[in-house]
Amino acid sequence: MSERQLPEGFQDLEPYLEWSLATDRERSIKRQTSPMTKITAFYHAIVPRMDEILAHLEQYPLEQVPADAQSLFYLTLSLAKIAPAVEMYGEPVPEGLDALRLENIDIYPTRG
Amino acid sequence: MALGKNKWHDRYPELGTGPIPVEPYVSPEYFEQERARVFRKTWLNIGRVEQIPQPGDYFVKDLTICNTSILVVRGKDGEVHAFHNMCSHRGNQLVWDTKGRCQTFSCKFHGWTYALDGSLRYITDEHNFFGLKKETLGMTPVAVGTWEGFIFINVDPDPQQTLPEYLGEGLRTSIKGYPFEDLSTNCFSWHTDVQANWKVAKDAFQEVYHISTLHRRIIGDVYASKANPYANALNFTLYPPHGRVSLSANPDRKLTGVESIVQGFGSTVLQQNNSASEKLPAGVNPTGYPHWSFDGLALFPNCLIYVSKGTYLTHIFWPITENLTRWEIRTYSPQAETLSGRFSQEYGKVSFRDTLLEDASTLERTQTMLRSGAKKEIVLQDEELLIRQHHKVTESFLNASKGSQPNV
Ligand code: FES
Ligand SMILES: [Fe+2]
Repeated sequence: MSERQLPEGFQDLEPYLEWSLATDRERSIKRQTSPMTKITAFYHAIVPRMDEILAHLEQYPLEQVPADAQSLFYLTLSLAKIAPAVEMYGEPVPEGLDALRLENIDIYPTRG
Repeated sequence: MALGKNKWHDRYPELGTGPIPVEPYVSPEYFEQERARVFRKTWLNIGRVEQIPQPGDYFVKDLTICNTSILVVRGKDGEVHAFHNMCSHRGNQLVWDTKGRCQTFSCKFHGWTYALDGSLRYITDEHNFFGLKKETLGMTPVAVGTWEGFIFINVDPDPQQTLPEYLGEGLRTSIKGYPFEDLSTNCFSWHTDVQANWKVAKDAFQEVYHISTLHRRIIGDVYASKANPYANALNFTLYPPHGRVSLSANPDRKLTGVESIVQGFGSTVLQQNNSASEKLPAGVNPTGYPHWSFDGLALFPNCLIYVSKGTYLTHIFWPITENLTRWEIRTYSPQAETLSGRFSQEYGKVSFRDTLLEDASTLERTQTMLRSGAKKEIVLQDEELLIRQHHKVTESFLNASKGSQPNV
């Protein structure tokens, strides 16, 4: 479980902090190792809050996101990861190549 | 124009309609011919200019199929240069990392040092050599060119065509005006090695016949509609050795729950119904269809470019052996300015990547069975025109006698 806290007003999502994961790889692993019951519970907890979440996240310039908002943002990235599982497949991953075999590669030069 | 009534093969009768031999997918001898007569003779897309924005920026591309490694660098002159990534002393690979920025390239073996223009600048303990002429010992250049920001190389020391000639005026004109540069600020990319012939992989991405079956759960209803249940193409146009396809979208598709949340924060791969009332860039939707989704360019031999509104993507298939392929996928879009925009992009990225996992599910299975020898031929339908064209074009490259132009 993560130690990080969520912004004021989003405490009800703290039971789902295990989905607050910084990298795509972690989120892929989380999706494919979680039972559908857990995935669905996270989905139903966060979807009704999305309007408020996005409104909260919108107020920060990309370079100045406080840690609690960053955790909240990572939750939305996990939602992006599991939404198709709930809405389309009815299982954590579509039948196909193991997602971890599709490696992320960084093509562009590091910014800054 | 009634969808699904066009006989593309009637338009291109020279391609024939017969079965396709399995041999090109499994034969090591055929593979060696492809290496020698296709990959060592044609212009290959190996990247984008955005990868090397500043003088001294470089990247390295290992080209197993051409038995070399290529160093691509932006010179002090601002131009893109390419070299075989090889030291002139005893042949060590000069640059070992995949990308970076530097002033000079220094060999890790004995310290010979080269300038960005490839010339040899420094020899360690030089006076112990025997009358070396430094000016003849630069890196070996590779023919390089750019088109719409894509970097192409040709390892033929004396390419038979320039890059513009190779791409052809028809194809280049057909996509003119598409904002490749504006859309290339942000790139998500993946690669993987699949145990399949490179054409098995490429074939799977140059037909949409499979969408309503293989992808029925993710994107089955993105393209297929009541009026067009098999997502037949709006148009195929061939610009030999290349080709182009245009696809419609399902105008009646309902957004899923999270899609309706992300809508409005940027283009995602599933938001494909680009109504004609919106301003589309010139060079897309050649039939002017009111519900256009994307156009695909099939660049011979191994590159597919799919352009849509606000985003484009590429597939490149690098043969390693006749049964092994490195498959590279890149998606390009503008930088998201807000976290909401990033969330939206992430959603598009995930759903696209998931369709790739589905696509990939067939590749190794297909290769396994093609290798069984059970069947000597496969068959193609009208919408699989680009696969047929690929075989036809390859045949002409393999048959072209040394030094003559392939007749394509
Ligand atoms: S091989 Fe490069 S300096 Fe010797
Ligand atoms: Fe597909």
